[in-house]
Amino acid sequence: MDSVYRESQINDVGLEELLASYDESAYPEVFLEKYFLTECLAERNGTDTFAAVDASGSKYIAKCYDRSLWDMEEGSILRNLQGAGLPRFVESFSNERMLVNVREYIEGVSLDVYAAENDLSRENITEICMKLCDILSGLHHRTEPVIHRDIKPQNVIISSDDDGTILNVTLIDFDIARKYKSGSDTDTRFFGTQAYAAPEQYGFSQTDARADIYSFGVLLRYLLTGSTRKNDKITVYKPLAAVIDKCTAFSPDDRYSDIDQVKKALSQANPQAQKRRALKLTACCVLALMLVSFAGFRIYKAVTWTPFNDDAIPAFTSDEERVSDAVSYMNEKYDTDLFGGTQQTLDGTEGADSVATIGLLKTVLIDVYGLDADYVNAPNTDIPNESEDFFFPWTWADDQTIGRGTMVYVAVKVHDPAIVADWSSLKDDNGEYPGERVALEFAEETGIMTGANRPDDITVGEMALILANAERVFDAAAEAEAKRVVN
Amino acid sequence: MTDKSRAITTEELWARLFAAKNAGNFMAEYSENYELPSFSDYITDLCKSRGEKPEQVIRRANIESSYGHRLFAGGRNPSRDTVIQFAYGFELDVNETQQLLVIARHAGLHPKIKRDSVIAYCLHNKFTLMETQQFLYDNSLPLIGGGRLG
Repeated sequence: MDSVYRESQINDVGLEELLASYDESAYPEVFLEKYFLTECLAERNGTDTFAAVDASGSKYIAKCYDRSLWDMEEGSILRNLQGAGLPRFVESFSNERMLVNVREYIEGVSLDVYAAENDLSRENITEICMKLCDILSGLHHRTEPVIHRDIKPQNVIISSDDDGTILNVTLIDFDIARKYKSGSDTDTRFFGTQAYAAPEQYGFSQTDARADIYSFGVLLRYLLTGSTRKNDKITVYKPLAAVIDKCTAFSPDDRYSDIDQVKKALSQANPQAQKRRALKLTACCVLALMLVSFAGFRIYKAVTWTPFNDDAIPAFTSDEERVSDAVSYMNEKYDTDLFGGTQQTLDGTEGADSVATIGLLKTVLIDVYGLDADYVNAPNTDIPNESEDFFFPWTWADDQTIGRGTMVYVAVKVHDPAIVADWSSLKDDNGEYPGERVALEFAEETGIMTGANRPDDITVGEMALILANAERVFDAAAEAEAKRVVN
Repeated sequence: MTDKSRAITTEELWARLFAAKNAGNFMAEYSENYELPSFSDYITDLCKSRGEKPEQVIRRANIESSYGHRLFAGGRNPSRDTVIQFAYGFELDVNETQQLLVIARHAGLHPKIKRDSVIAYCLHNKFTLMETQQFLYDNSLPLIGGGRLG
């Protein structure tokens, strides 16, 4: 055994000597007797964070605070904070130089690592963030609210099983959490992590729960874009972008005032929730339509239509009666002859049976729906126009024909662009444009495609039918909403 | 041995062992903005650049063969002790070991941790894994990989 005790060729200091110079006198003796330090996880601001094991081999986290730099009560905040999503406080030790808090070790990885290692979907991100909202809600709604003030991915631990299914979300690091005392003017020191800290944490004013809401917004942005800073070049799913913007408003007054509101906004921005909303919208439409027809108003004939089943009409042939009704409805309503009929259309084709073109569609958007010509006419380049500056994310020549999916996309977007907010020009795994797929799902749920069965090269009449159906759906929804407000 | 024959003092040795202590912090910040290579890619490249075969590294690291090959192939990140075993497998110095730990997203060797100090000392002096285990054992410190000696 002695053979391994060879002196190094590089230096003459032996290991024994090295270990003799090892100084751990700063730590409370009882703490060192009970826990063995295995890793130093972090070292900053007079705080060392260690991984430690006890005699039985159980793992813990020990935070050691230098008393000359930290003025805190033993056990500090964490001792009084027990609950789901927070680490369990075990015990604390102290001597004249140091205070040591031992807490449970949370098995898992920090959210920044988790996000880097897993391809997080919007649903995953929303799920994690809503769980984080619940934890923050528990902290903010205590009789004496606790503001964490250092919300960032590094302080959120994700525990998952082998399949990657998220089991638990835990918020750690309560170093700078402080109980909010109304009346104190400003926080005297800067706390927090620069990229995530709210402006008032730099000393503009007293921080309250809205500082956490700010950091939460930055965290959400980081998860969605990979950056803590706003980047206009990266398109964020619009409903979530709105949540981020409101969370990270400069003035606390412009933010959500309560984390529960953030959670609600997130659940509504969640695509799953949006689907449920679309269903609700359909229900509202049906109800509104029934009310309106009972009241005896003369309304568009579509109201009384019942959907054809697949056997009743050939799959790819549209319902002629509905088409001709839609054509006269649209022409009358907008006092135009763009939708065919007896006169020649602007693009030179004749009647509602002629095949519609992109050129005609653009004219309809500008003349009928009053959209800005620059917005509709994207420059004709080979690259996609994925920007809010242009109505179409794709570029086509004016003489190209139109597929039903595209027409539905246009019909939905012209009324509510938010529904088809994800309009990436890249096709998804199924070979579909995401925006078009969302529009088609919405159209199927609400009946926008009723009677329009031809998949490609649709006619001017079918264009009118899809647009008319969409008007019916959105008008009914608006009417139902107005009634709801009145009641 | 007389004092005159001393090349350096203990203070200097501490400084030398953990000269790259802050490199870990730098890498951690770096990784917030740029993607770190995966552990498997990194050790595969390391093998190539050193003209070594994974088998040789795995053997020197005293890692069970099929597990070692799985780590080269990719998948989950290894434990911190396994990464340290790889450092012995590649015969890395302290600085390179710190980098390898960062790549595997583990805490670097730290002077405040007695066991880390012993490991750093042994890596610095090019001791083998078995020699290091003996040092740890003699100083009542947990062995690398949690195994028993002998």
